[in-house]
Amino acid sequence: MKFGIFYEISVPRPWENNIEHTVYHRCLEQVRLADELGFHSVWAVEHHFLEEYSHCSAPELFLTACAMQTKQIRVGHGIVVCVPQFNHPIRAAERAAVLDILSDGRLEFGTGRSATWTELGGMDANPDETKETWDEYTRTIPQMWTNERFGYEGRAFKMPTRAVLPKPYQKPHPPMWVAVSSPGTEVDAAERGMGSLGLTFGGFAEQEQKVQRYRRIIANCEPVGAFVNERVATVNFLYCHPDNETGIKTGSRLTGSFGYLAAQLLPVREVHPTRSYPNPGLLAASRAQAEQTPGEGASAPEGVCIGNPDRLIEEIRKWEACGVDQINFLLNALETIPQEQVLDSLRLFAEEVMPHFTDDKPATTVPTRELAGAPAAGD
Amino acid sequence: MPINGNADPGLLTQYAPAMASLDTEALTLPNVKVLQVIYEIDDSVMADLIPPALHPTIPPTMHVIGMRAEDGPLGAFTIAIVRVGCRAAVRPRGLPTRAVCTEGEAATALTERWGFPITIGEPVLRQRYDRQSIEVNDGNVTVLSAQLIDPVPIGNADLLYTAGMHVANIERDGETRPWLIQVDPEFEVSRADRGVAQIDAFDSDFWEAPELRPVYPIVASYTTANITLPRIRYICDPLQPAISGTIAL
Repeated sequence: MKFGIFYEISVPRPWENNIEHTVYHRCLEQVRLADELGFHSVWAVEHHFLEEYSHCSAPELFLTACAMQTKQIRVGHGIVVCVPQFNHPIRAAERAAVLDILSDGRLEFGTGRSATWTELGGMDANPDETKETWDEYTRTIPQMWTNERFGYEGRAFKMPTRAVLPKPYQKPHPPMWVAVSSPGTEVDAAERGMGSLGLTFGGFAEQEQKVQRYRRIIANCEPVGAFVNERVATVNFLYCHPDNETGIKTGSRLTGSFGYLAAQLLPVREVHPTRSYPNPGLLAASRAQAEQTPGEGASAPEGVCIGNPDRLIEEIRKWEACGVDQINFLLNALETIPQEQVLDSLRLFAEEVMPHFTDDKPATTVPTRELAGAPAAGD
Repeated sequence: MPINGNADPGLLTQYAPAMASLDTEALTLPNVKVLQVIYEIDDSVMADLIPPALHPTIPPTMHVIGMRAEDGPLGAFTIAIVRVGCRAAVRPRGLPTRAVCTEGEAATALTERWGFPITIGEPVLRQRYDRQSIEVNDGNVTVLSAQLIDPVPIGNADLLYTAGMHVANIERDGETRPWLIQVDPEFEVSRADRGVAQIDAFDSDFWEAPELRPVYPIVASYTTANITLPRIRYICDPLQPAISGTIAL
């Protein structure tokens, strides 16, 4: 089991006194500490226009700052929006390669397509087409990275043959992931030989089914990249405190705030009926989370990592039994938890919880095409 | 935390009905034609259109709804409704500012049993090959004209309708004042189309939504559905956040 930290970069109103500067630098301080404590990775979302919920619109810059201030921790796009109005695929490939070089080969490349009208409408993107464009990106970006020159004519974009530069530091290329927030997307990940980057806060039963389906399908996949990245990550909340009741109470403020903010956004499905978004996805899950955890005094929902170290160990064991390889933790929302408490929570987790979970299982990255190069993909 | 509405509930709509009883039975209206046109609206007034209990959606939205029933327990009727998209805590909702309904049993029942802010008029729901539209005139002035253009079939399950929070004056603990009545009909859709949304005329003063300006079309849908109007299960104090001010009946 590996542990990562996961950033939406939630900024509370009022947006005065450079609050965004304060929040970003608090996040960087957390990342530096997480690196020292031995966390595996830091992930950052790409969201646009999501007031208070996420002010993380340029994750490549945030992750570059993370990489420059740390030594070991891997930096993960969770995710790059693979829709032309958001990111041209060539720019996505170029930026990722530069980040991989600057981080000395620490990039994890997550892909996805956005699920809100707030974002897709804001970018004038057609929700009907995002699944197709995402699919095209996942098949072309690895080729841009691994072929000296690349040309293409597809639905989402076309380009005459050019050298897309630079090439990533990791050879053949960084591990690739798919954001999995709707039931069934784990199948998309498995069929393409990509990691399943879970972004919902579902319970054990749902997760176990997804993992089993993923493992079954990926065994016979046709990878879009040069290797299979068979890994299952899930997202969770983290607030670790010596006193269980205090940990749950404080952590419930975090989970409740996050879900409440998520529920204010407009999911595509609510206003723009389309077969492209058949499931409510992350926002509905967050809404359910907010209703389960209305605030102080609530009990901790199944699987949520808030409480004292003993409780967290118990919950993580259950995630491990479901077949999850990695848990990425959200540490704050709306700055609900003061910075010193967030840092103390990370320290306590590293000291008393992490040692119970060995990290001796190497990531399963099965080369399917041998390419010349030094550092292997993955870790 | 998210922005709250700041409208005085007593001034939200002069057409808020008085409801003598909230103990109403559910009622199914068969084969209703439903046109829904959704737009983003000018954000400068979004908080002025809803009471403190509710949050505007991000981005702020409005729903223009036209419905026509040919038969059923309330007889034939046509209704046009304008709603502001919002959230009651974490729940998607729409707050009707005014509705115009043809005269008859339906207008009375929808007002008295479910708190629709109805005035009597002659809304017209038209179904053409290449478009569907809802139109409302006030004398010689067109106060609403909204359309779905170029319909294409979609799956019946692809469509979601959000529940309503209707402002109605009710007596509670010896005091009569505005409350929000949750009206969450069930839609059993038998046919659904989707198309381009277009609003050609909208008089915000007529619709009791001062300064509301539709600015960016999202989408329009047209369905045939059996609609079950529910028993009233929840009411909400419009002056308190819905998360703490909601009362189960």
